[in-house]
Amino acid sequence: MKKLSRSFSLSLVAAGLLASGAVSAQSLAIINATLHTATEQGILESASIVINDGKITAINPDNVKADKIIDAQGKIVTPGFIASINQLGLVEVGAVSGSRDAGDDKAGIDFDPSLAFNPRSSLIPYARKGGITRDVITPHGGDSIFAGLASVVDLSGSFESVLQNQVALVVHLGERNKGSRALTLQRLINKLDEHKTKQSKKAKKDDAKPSAEDTIMAKVLNGDMPLLISVSRAADIVELIKVKQQFGVNIVLNGAQDAVVVKDRIAKAGIPVIISAMDNLPGSFDSLHASLNNAGILEKAGVKVLLTVGGDASHNVYQLRYDAGNAVSYGMSQQGALKALTSHVADVFGINAGSLEVGKAADVVMWSNDPFELSSHVNKMFINGVEVSTESRQDKLRERYTTESNMPRAYTK
Amino acid sequence: MQKFAPSLLAVGLAAALVGCQESGPQDTKITINKNPYPSTYQPISASSTLITNATVLTGTGERLDEADVFLVDGKVQQVGKDLTAKADITIDAQGKWVTPGIIDVHSHLGAYPNPSVDSHQDGNEMTSPNTAEVWVEHSIWPQDPGFNRAREGGITSLQILPGSANLFGGRGVTLKNVPAHTMQGMKFPDAPYGLKMACGENPKRVYGRKGELPMTRMGNMAGYRTAWIEAQEYKRAWDKYDADYAAGKNPQAPHRDIQYDTLRGVLEGEVMIHNHCYKAEEMAMMIDLSKEFNYHAGTFHHGIEAYKIADLLADNGSCAALWPDWWGFKMEAYDMVQENVAIVDAVKNSCAIVHSDSDTTIQRLNQEAAKVMYSANQNGFDISEQHAIKWITANAAKSLGIEDKTGSLEVGKQGDVVIWNQNPFSVYAKAEQVFVDGAKVYDRNDSAFQAKSDFMLGQQ
Repeated sequence: MKKLSRSFSLSLVAAGLLASGAVSAQSLAIINATLHTATEQGILESASIVINDGKITAINPDNVKADKIIDAQGKIVTPGFIASINQLGLVEVGAVSGSRDAGDDKAGIDFDPSLAFNPRSSLIPYARKGGITRDVITPHGGDSIFAGLASVVDLSGSFESVLQNQVALVVHLGERNKGSRALTLQRLINKLDEHKTKQSKKAKKDDAKPSAEDTIMAKVLNGDMPLLISVSRAADIVELIKVKQQFGVNIVLNGAQDAVVVKDRIAKAGIPVIISAMDNLPGSFDSLHASLNNAGILEKAGVKVLLTVGGDASHNVYQLRYDAGNAVSYGMSQQGALKALTSHVADVFGINAGSLEVGKAADVVMWSNDPFELSSHVNKMFINGVEVSTESRQDKLRERYTTESNMPRAYTK
Repeated sequence: MQKFAPSLLAVGLAAALVGCQESGPQDTKITINKNPYPSTYQPISASSTLITNATVLTGTGERLDEADVFLVDGKVQQVGKDLTAKADITIDAQGKWVTPGIIDVHSHLGAYPNPSVDSHQDGNEMTSPNTAEVWVEHSIWPQDPGFNRAREGGITSLQILPGSANLFGGRGVTLKNVPAHTMQGMKFPDAPYGLKMACGENPKRVYGRKGELPMTRMGNMAGYRTAWIEAQEYKRAWDKYDADYAAGKNPQAPHRDIQYDTLRGVLEGEVMIHNHCYKAEEMAMMIDLSKEFNYHAGTFHHGIEAYKIADLLADNGSCAALWPDWWGFKMEAYDMVQENVAIVDAVKNSCAIVHSDSDTTIQRLNQEAAKVMYSANQNGFDISEQHAIKWITANAAKSLGIEDKTGSLEVGKQGDVVIWNQNPFSVYAKAEQVFVDGAKVYDRNDSAFQAKSDFMLGQQ
């Protein structure tokens, strides 16, 4: 049996915490790394990466010059992972209504929950344990099929974490508790039609100030902002492909358990798909084809696949990398799975991060070993070039209850 | 006091009319059938199987390299190196790992099946805070596709529990994870029944909003205590009937109450408590409650704060069935630590278990256990695979009262075995072949051994 009295030496991560903030103005290089670039370059062995002023400024330069040099000793370095479809910073405790800000009965097209984003949420340091540096937060919405607007945040914990607003308009289609799914699709089509007509009229006489909805729908119709549509049934997806063709809008599918049935149409239409790799049960008649093989099947069909975490994705988002490991185990390529957590998310939501290439934001993670493995952990993490800790409230609790003391636990801090 | 005595009126009348009838000739003894829905499970085949050259985690804390496992007549016959046994089937498991069949002590498969349509919500009888009278086996839909998915993840036995809306949610049932088209065809022969109890937020939320007891945690405690007092009376009434009858009297049998049959079963040590309970202070009170009424507090499920009372749990001989990392969905789940299972496990006489309570993570309990092992080892523990496998095998069997039958690869145990393509504590590990009672029930490479639910058949 193990003794409970153990010395908790400062981990690399904790040491990083102490150094945090001091490195931002310095240039930094990581050398002798195995760079998983999430680009066409793939994996670069014994490579170096240079970070300056929050950006990646060099990959494998002939001469590495930096204020601070970290020897990775061959360890894997990846782009920080970009999660999506969760309410990080918009919920603290699921069942505590006062801590939930991602939904509202009255939410609609112009609902932007990022105004409520809390960078001090205890979920954020915990999520960093999963190598996640950036996140696409999405509204739950309310009664409308239009749930509101998605935003991009970083996981630095700073009050400037909300980096990009209006990166997608979230729409919920498919099965209804009451009524017909046909009506929801009609509502979407009618709304697009209404604003398309408005736009053409407006082109003639430019008088009234556009409403928030007008502005948002104009971005959608101009292809500047995708519709992020939760839908599962193959027939519904086929209808949405028609919508894309009719209005020239960008569509991203979320959930999409039965996307495999119409994978070639989706690939041809250039529609990215966000799925939970672990989603393999027929939760409804819309998702009879949910399978652990789906991520790999869609990838092979040429669909751009993004991975998200199922269930309580906000509290469990750190598991994203394990989901990617499982996706690989069931047929996705290792590089495809990495892109599904990084560059594909960046592409779909217009984020200047998610790959190790010059000019990208310096969200960089050094790993103990294979980041998709259960045995690995984050050694070092940089967000916008600044080192951050992965220590969370959970670590504090563990240390309190595993440190011997003659005093009540409350005195162990 | 007279709730469970023969009707007062009836007794009074009988006494008045015929005097002391209890001393007359005896009527037929009234006995309660404790197994009215018996298992009809039969192992699929009895071929002998020799698995050779594997890395074997026995479930007893041992790891054997390049070892063989021999299954005969549905039982583990031999485990060791270079076995010379003659078998009907020999499987070369070079490079593969072998473990006991995985056991999940907390599942709602069949009771909350997929598809999760309204007609399938059969896990919570949310009509009274005490529904000890319901038996979840009566809700189980054996065609739930989740049973097949779980088998593909190495699950060979599992306990199905009612939900946690009620203080007493009803009886749980332990199943063999074999395809069947009746519940009885899956029922684990001779496994004890469980009784689901629930602490904390769920019961007080469900009944509090109706303006009924319990509305508070103190209401929860009052509800348990009231029920146990009545259960003791019920037990006394039946004990007296049995004693009087044995003494040659002709007593009138107490009125039968299936709610109190179950609670009496707990008081008599036949039904095991499975207590949904998250918080340290509540688990400590549930242990005192069990002492107040002289029963065993059983296994604590979910136990987000079990690490705060690891000593107390071990002293009481209580298992703790825990998640590696679920948290934050409600207030009582806020104080999660990823090393919860490891901290509970580190105490002498502990019984730490990794459970799922999920139709998805039940498919990967090996990975759930691995998360704990690696988090703990990163933070000062030194836990091996051969030890951690007990969290999802032997300790789980102990919690369910089936440790004499399954949960380890010891000679004479049921031949519940998983062959993994590699170290099962890897994210890339997959169960390749699964055996229940020596019979192959799943083979990843042979569709003849891949069961399909009636529901999924013919879907397009």
